[in-house]
Amino acid sequence: MSDSGKPLKIALLGNPNSGKSTVFNQLTGLRQKTGNFPGVTVDVKEGRLRFPSGLEARLIDLPGTYSLYPTSSDEKIVTAVLTNPADPFYPDALVYIADVTHLDKHMLLFTQLLDLGLPLLLALNMSDSAAEQGIKVNTARLVAQFRIPVISISGRTGENIQKLLHELEKLIRNEPDASAGSEMVFYPLREQEKQVVDAVRHNLPIGNAYCALLLAHHHGWLPFLKKQERETLSAIVETKDFQSLRAQVDETLDRYDRFTPIVRKTIQQPFVSGGTATDHIDAVLTHRLFGPLIFFGVMLMVFMAIFFGYDTTGGWVENATGVLVDAVGNNMTDNWFSSLLVKGVLPGLQGVLVFVPQIALLFLLISILEEVGYMARAVFIFDKTMRRFGMNGRSIVALIGGGACAVPAIMGTRTISNWKERLITVMVTPFISCSARIPVYLVLIPVALPLSTWWTKALIFGGMYFFGLGAALGAAYVFKKILRTSDPSFLALELPEYRMPHWKNVWLTVWEKVKAFVAGAGKIIFMISIALWILGNSGPEGALDNAESRVRTEMSGSLTPEELNDRVAAKRLEASYAGIIGKGIEPAIRPLGYDWKIGIALLSSFAAREVFNGTMYTIYSLESVGAREEVEASNQRPFERYGRLRRQMTDDRFENGDRVYTLATGISLLVFYALAMQCMSTLAVVRRETGNWKWPIFQFLFMSGLAYFFAWLVYTLLPKV
Amino acid sequence: MQRRYRTIADLKQHESALAIAVTDPALAGKLTAMGVLPGTLIELVRPAPFGNAFYIKVDGIRLALREEEAACILLEL
Repeated sequence: MSDSGKPLKIALLGNPNSGKSTVFNQLTGLRQKTGNFPGVTVDVKEGRLRFPSGLEARLIDLPGTYSLYPTSSDEKIVTAVLTNPADPFYPDALVYIADVTHLDKHMLLFTQLLDLGLPLLLALNMSDSAAEQGIKVNTARLVAQFRIPVISISGRTGENIQKLLHELEKLIRNEPDASAGSEMVFYPLREQEKQVVDAVRHNLPIGNAYCALLLAHHHGWLPFLKKQERETLSAIVETKDFQSLRAQVDETLDRYDRFTPIVRKTIQQPFVSGGTATDHIDAVLTHRLFGPLIFFGVMLMVFMAIFFGYDTTGGWVENATGVLVDAVGNNMTDNWFSSLLVKGVLPGLQGVLVFVPQIALLFLLISILEEVGYMARAVFIFDKTMRRFGMNGRSIVALIGGGACAVPAIMGTRTISNWKERLITVMVTPFISCSARIPVYLVLIPVALPLSTWWTKALIFGGMYFFGLGAALGAAYVFKKILRTSDPSFLALELPEYRMPHWKNVWLTVWEKVKAFVAGAGKIIFMISIALWILGNSGPEGALDNAESRVRTEMSGSLTPEELNDRVAAKRLEASYAGIIGKGIEPAIRPLGYDWKIGIALLSSFAAREVFNGTMYTIYSLESVGAREEVEASNQRPFERYGRLRRQMTDDRFENGDRVYTLATGISLLVFYALAMQCMSTLAVVRRETGNWKWPIFQFLFMSGLAYFFAWLVYTLLPKV
Repeated sequence: MQRRYRTIADLKQHESALAIAVTDPALAGKLTAMGVLPGTLIELVRPAPFGNAFYIKVDGIRLALREEEAACILLEL
């Protein structure tokens, strides 16, 4: 029994493509989160399970894997959790999800779990497909054979999900640890394996024989082993001359020999002739010529949808925040708090909210591609291309996902087993233009090219994506030449059958990603907005008031009251701490064509690049209060949006009277934002995925160095008009 | 020297052959776990558009394998 008060933990396991996540979503719905607990290096999806009786349990969704002999780091999570009773995710019971239409391929991991001796339930998923294909299953036979509960379910239709809960509750209520340590085994150990297991159990406190065998196999990498335990295991393996790789294959083949006849007797499958729908679709989608063409067509459509989607949704968000700003401005007395809201928090929040629809749309399209099974085909088509750049076919999933947000894309690289390929993918994915760069580009492109046609601007916008992709591939190629590894590299990928997307899965993915994004970025932007407001409204003793009175005496009479107010606001900002900091770094960024105001925006963007617009709003509305009253038309095309901000930027001048935003400065800024590493969340996730601070620090330095160099180069080469 | 086996690279498109062994020990673990076993029928569906990989079918399962991975699966003549 588990400790009183502590909820029971139940782990969901299965092969990739077993429909495990659909079952997980059916069981938990919105009651799920991606666990990221202190001291735990992996994050695992977890949900709350409520049984009919009211009993609650934690349901842990472990990554899909074919066997307990893993090759990639997400597969390693499964073995590491199940061989370590001290692990915070170590389950009290297991639910194994098998695709009943391919039961002969889905039983290997199941029989391994049987031998681990934890309470186990077998769920035969996709009963709906099986019925369609005329497949008959004799579950009673499986129950008799394995002496565990077996249930036919369908994650997609929800069939028997309640029954699954019911059986699971019976399983954990009856005798939670009756089978723990029992010696009923599916796979009888060979003589040498027995000797190894005996030696391991003699030296370490391990009850289960198969668990002891797994420790011997995996002692080299299992993260929870202490140094001394690792040495003990290593010595055992050596003295017994235990050949791990060979033993793994022998064990696997032996298991197949044992369960294949059982599956044959359980499943009645009509003979099918001719190709299936998937075969016909793949004849086109993986075709030598049409395959790549269709891929590029699909990508083009995704990014067109993003771009034109912005047309409609961007306006809504701006109108909504505009209404809010006016409401606060009109109804609150003018004090520091309303000033903080109107000039600090709200413009900052607008910067985040404005592209929430964008990121949702991107995640929606990407998860549909994933859900129907198309991503695996893209991996197959582009494996060779990606390898040329030191990556793996699987990297293409990260690069596409990077178009939405680098954080989940980088977490997705766990499926790449080769450390070098994975590291390169992690290092270059942030070069792909993520959705946070969209609003920045939309402000800067018209500032750089105020007179060009709409289509020229759209072309440059598209060009920014190619620029990002080019930077990613170029950097990857350099890394390929520098890095060395002896890790084996795999493609070996299952191409699942095409299916209609299961919409519940799609919505939950979009919901989860957008929520994580808003929570993460929103928090950062909120704090930065407040910090900026404070820095912009305070300065050394009396400095702000001195600056104001100086302007008022010098300029009184020569300016209209409005112009005077603008000038006062500008001088106050310049005298504030924000102004002092901006001026302090101006010498460093002057070669790129930037002034101290851009300097403030750059500094704050190092937390998150989407802060740029918010900061610019904050800086310029700090400068000129009157401009806020200008109402913007709502039916604007993308490049006509942000009109107020853009006009203020275009009018801005250096001390010597030159305009700040010329073609050269605008392009230089675009290049800088395309290349620089300006995202704390990405650095944090790279730290977690690579295990130390070395790589994120390196990534920050090389990306920002590259950004500085290329921004300087284009500023130097382009005309300052 | 005459070979006593073929590999997937020797198959024509949509041709099938029985697997007799999986040689490379590091790859064998992975491939057998995915269902590529001695005694199963392997069909070459098509090579990858840019080469270097194969789309194969094993007992109704579809797999993408690199040339090196495919090369360690020995097929009956």
